[in-house]
Amino acid sequence: MTALLNIENYRLDIPTFDGVLKVLDGIDIKLDQGDTLGIVGESGCGKTVLARSILGIGPRNAKRVSGQIVFDATALDELSEAEWRRIRGVKISMIFQDPMTYLNPLLTIGRQLSDVVVAHHRAQGMQVPAKAERLARCGQLLEQVQIADTQRVLKSYPHQLSGGMRQRILIAMALAGEPKLLIADEPTTALDVTIQAQILKLLRDLVDRLGLTVVMISHDVGAIAALSRRVAVMYAGTVVEQGEAESILTRPRHPYTRGLLAALPDIEGATHPLEAIPGTIPNLITPPTGCRFHPRCPRATAICRQQKPETRSIGADHVVACHHAFD
Amino acid sequence: MSSLATMPSIEAAAGAKPLLSARHLTKVFHTGGQEFRAVDDVSLSVGHGKVLGIVGESGSGKSTVARMVMRLIEPTSGTVMFDGDDLTAKTGEALRRMRRNMQIVFQNPHSALNPRDTIGDAIAEPFLVQTRVRGSELDRKVEELLDIVSLPKTFKYRYPHELSGGQKQRVCIARAVALEPRLLVLDEPTSALDVSVQAQIIMFLQDLRARLNLTYLFISHNLAVVRHLCDDVVVMNKGAVVESGPTEAVFKSPRNAYTRQLIESVPRIPRPAS
Repeated sequence: MTALLNIENYRLDIPTFDGVLKVLDGIDIKLDQGDTLGIVGESGCGKTVLARSILGIGPRNAKRVSGQIVFDATALDELSEAEWRRIRGVKISMIFQDPMTYLNPLLTIGRQLSDVVVAHHRAQGMQVPAKAERLARCGQLLEQVQIADTQRVLKSYPHQLSGGMRQRILIAMALAGEPKLLIADEPTTALDVTIQAQILKLLRDLVDRLGLTVVMISHDVGAIAALSRRVAVMYAGTVVEQGEAESILTRPRHPYTRGLLAALPDIEGATHPLEAIPGTIPNLITPPTGCRFHPRCPRATAICRQQKPETRSIGADHVVACHHAFD
Repeated sequence: MSSLATMPSIEAAAGAKPLLSARHLTKVFHTGGQEFRAVDDVSLSVGHGKVLGIVGESGSGKSTVARMVMRLIEPTSGTVMFDGDDLTAKTGEALRRMRRNMQIVFQNPHSALNPRDTIGDAIAEPFLVQTRVRGSELDRKVEELLDIVSLPKTFKYRYPHELSGGQKQRVCIARAVALEPRLLVLDEPTSALDVSVQAQIIMFLQDLRARLNLTYLFISHNLAVVRHLCDDVVVMNKGAVVESGPTEAVFKSPRNAYTRQLIESVPRIPRPAS
């Protein structure tokens, strides 16, 4: 079986006034249909640029240096804008961090949701349904995201709804085209912890019920662990470790993954002393030579400065890119 | 002290006279002719050298409590006692003198520093406002403070935009401890930072407390951080305290339904066996 999403040796440069940002440095990610992948990393690691590249909404001036993104046997980087329109929001859709920013404050939810339904019909060359039918479809979409009083919500304006409710509506919009792949960029970061738990549960249900494939991006390891079967850990534009979530979280092999997990205080109590990763994230205009993590790595040796580590397999579904990975 | 009997259990646990105690704090905001009780009859106290955490979701009133304690906003009713002095009764010069004993660090270090002032200027400001320290002595103080927060002395010539988020937060902490306050109010000091930087700041705060004999009032929505850092905790919901007590007790056996829900909502991360 071929993967639904296959990112191969993807390199992306972004020219800026100060120089060229080498923002993605050879990304390899594979994801099967119905699977869930969490991409975790700190700010500036390139996770959002990667997610946006999958949807063809990356920075306009970004230059692909090598590699490709293949989705459902289509090479996305070669698509024309007209072809993109049949994929973006239809086969691949996306939800974002701040649900308020992405809703028009002047229009009702019903109007905005109905616009999306109409757009999908037009994009697929189908006749636009009558108003009653459109409303029925909107109600159906809201039910799918477990909103009970659909009639009230359809008549509401965004400011009349809570953050959790707004995120549900964005998810409903994202589902309108019956996508195969949903990209969720920090979907719970702006929400309170109790609401966050509800949204994560909803996404989990959608994966189970609709067989949705999800790529979730977050800096929050907890949120990633709650949803994703597989995890990719990113650092400074590279995937340092990737595989089954359980394996990566309980047996991390890359020094950065270890550091990241050790830096997290545990809600269950102090089972381990907190550890900080020394130093700060590198400047991607002049990234460190060899392994990009070496200046902050406790295990770094000469080879780490000279040679970029190969990604190698160390388990059934567990790869790591490190010269001195833990056993 | 007959009122001791009526105080929440957390005060009894603190034993000796607390450094900070707030009693029956209430804040009513008026918006569009409507009353909104942001904080409703909140009492709490922090013992000398202790760390009290206030947790709650957005809108719970936790930051409003912090600001009332600092007298950055005036409580509608209630009192704040600092080391036996009634802070709410003070005005003018007396209040200004009290303020050097209590300092606040805000959530977003990027907006807490004036972009047109150097780091040196930012750290020197409390001395200019509160003391007669000037000239080479002031220079020496600034360098000492940079040293305390583990930043190089040369940083005093830099501007905020040249620093990372974690470095800026250290500068804000340096400025807050400049006048050797006794109480530090930390309002979500790590929420804008990445986890590896958050760990640096938390460890640094723990170390700083021991070195400078500080007392912390720590406001956060991050329960894991609160559990890690605080001796006692106050849980707020919709402006009121729903539960308070020693951190371990509250997290291990929460008695209030909302506290339980809050703790259960935090996704658990599978941990390495070791």
